[in-house]
Amino acid sequence: MKKGWTISLAVLLLTGALAGCASKNEASGTDAQGNGKPKELVVSTWGFSEDLLKKNVFEPFEKANNVKIKLEVGNNSDRLNKVRMKAHQVDVIMLAEQFAAQGIEEGLFEKIDRSHIPNIDNLFDVAKAPNGTDYGPAYTVGSSGIIYDKTATSQPVTSYADLWRPEFKGKLSLPDITTTDGAFLVDFASKVGGAQAMDTEKAFGQLKTLGPSVVKFYTKSSDLANMFNQKEVAVATVQNFVLATIKKANPNVEWVTPKEGSYAVRNTMNLVKGTKNKELGEKFIDWWLSEEVQKANALDKVDSPANKNVKLTPQEAEGLTYGADTINNLKTLDWNAVNKNMKTWIDRWNRDVVSN
Amino acid sequence: MKKPAYLLLFPGALFLAVFMVVPIATIILSTFANDGSVSLAGYTSFFTDSYTLGILGTTLKISLISTLICILLGYPTAYYISRTSVSRRGIYLALAIFPLLTSAIVRSFSWMVTLGKTGLINTLLLQLHVIDKPLQILYTETSIIIGMVHLFLPLMIISLIGVMENIDGDLMQAAASLGASRFKAFVKVVLPLSIPGLLVGSTLVLVGSLTAYATPQLLGGKKRVLATLLFQNTMTLNDWKAASIIATIMIAITFLLIGVMNALAKKLNPNG
Repeated sequence: MKKGWTISLAVLLLTGALAGCASKNEASGTDAQGNGKPKELVVSTWGFSEDLLKKNVFEPFEKANNVKIKLEVGNNSDRLNKVRMKAHQVDVIMLAEQFAAQGIEEGLFEKIDRSHIPNIDNLFDVAKAPNGTDYGPAYTVGSSGIIYDKTATSQPVTSYADLWRPEFKGKLSLPDITTTDGAFLVDFASKVGGAQAMDTEKAFGQLKTLGPSVVKFYTKSSDLANMFNQKEVAVATVQNFVLATIKKANPNVEWVTPKEGSYAVRNTMNLVKGTKNKELGEKFIDWWLSEEVQKANALDKVDSPANKNVKLTPQEAEGLTYGADTINNLKTLDWNAVNKNMKTWIDRWNRDVVSN
Repeated sequence: MKKPAYLLLFPGALFLAVFMVVPIATIILSTFANDGSVSLAGYTSFFTDSYTLGILGTTLKISLISTLICILLGYPTAYYISRTSVSRRGIYLALAIFPLLTSAIVRSFSWMVTLGKTGLINTLLLQLHVIDKPLQILYTETSIIIGMVHLFLPLMIISLIGVMENIDGDLMQAAASLGASRFKAFVKVVLPLSIPGLLVGSTLVLVGSLTAYATPQLLGGKKRVLATLLFQNTMTLNDWKAASIIATIMIAITFLLIGVMNALAKKLNPNG
């Protein structure tokens, strides 16, 4: 029957169109050496504050080294996946530490030569080698804690255990387990459940009871900012860099360092295996760690500084993770252990927490 | 018949073969591979797992309800438009298609603003003292369905208008002259003749809402559907096999639905 075919075809075409293939592969960056033309350095990064980074980091580096920086932007997992598929060569990749740990485990990154990156010596110890000394340093150390709307409760929030308060039911948002902050959930839920270290059973027992309180598990910090703007939620666990955005929309929102301590969020820079610009890449990392860049980025509230020589006034440091005391008290997790358990955790998460 | 005419099919067919048939076949075949041997293990675990079955159920439920609402809203609209003069019909059609021209993201965001706790609907109901606490509409199944209906209603209307336009107005008069009431004439004449359009429209809406990603992702909160589960598997878990299995299941459901609709069309179409 003719009509049948027409319908089938129309549906197939529509399905294809709606599914929308969103893969755009840019032409690979091959460098044109020797004839004065600038080299190309492909940097894979998040895409936040691109204009400020351009001013503080990229443009000065491009001028000084006759190089053109090409950005590839996206979230951690998208960009790591692109490197896995080797669609084209990326030179420098910026990732949160646990995603970097995955890349290292899978042999996707080049070892770095620390003598080419002298600024590493100026970093806080916690930033020097989050994934071991063979691999890249952290260029910023942020923290993950709690934010809440003061007008939503009469009792101040001081601990991760407070998230379980019945008054927050339907007002809570948590990061999805697959995000940078996901593993922190397992850690603090273990502690709330009475364990000393990360304990899958105890953690998910606790998270299961928390699931029904949650409005939405966010995967992007911008989603969380939206939910606070629209007053959909009043309390969440989140990284401190989001605070400024949320505070603009809702000045009653306050940051809490939970009494259990907040977590270090280290963002790293690594060289991707197969890069033809190894030394240039190392130079670029060194430039990013320099006092000059770190200070400029801190003043523009792009990143909390990891370079301990950066000095800020209390106003300048507002909203940043700043100061030796703060940074040395941050808690870190063993990401290799986390990554090994992640698949089990995601499964437990999907079954026990999200669909509860 | 001119012999080389079928050659004209060649470029299009080649394009589809290379960019559609081969990739889809590769995806489907890869789901049966298990360390070099052929196995159905992936499918058995999908269909025996209450978690994935639950998501499949939610997906089907949302698509079916969206389709029903599209029929209820789209049918009278389409009938009205098809009965107006040609020049007006153009304007109405353009208006009906309008939602299709805005991106899914923009549309979903406007629904977030409308349905949220401080959104238009809740504010209005609170001001009128109909409710004393904001309703949770956003981030529920209801909000996904609202988004889907908004997205797919135009498809239903277009499909119906195409068929209804061709129903001769004289038929209604003929029925009336033979003593049928307006309602009876509508039920006996217009409704059966419009069934092909209804089926095409329903198929488009059903399959569209089954595979939609952006709308459930943005409006759905904790609720998962097959498309968002697929996305989680590829982009965050890097588990392409599980994702391929979900994709294959979605393709199979799509074809099943098309098959059922075609069979229905054959049965119900008065022209055979």
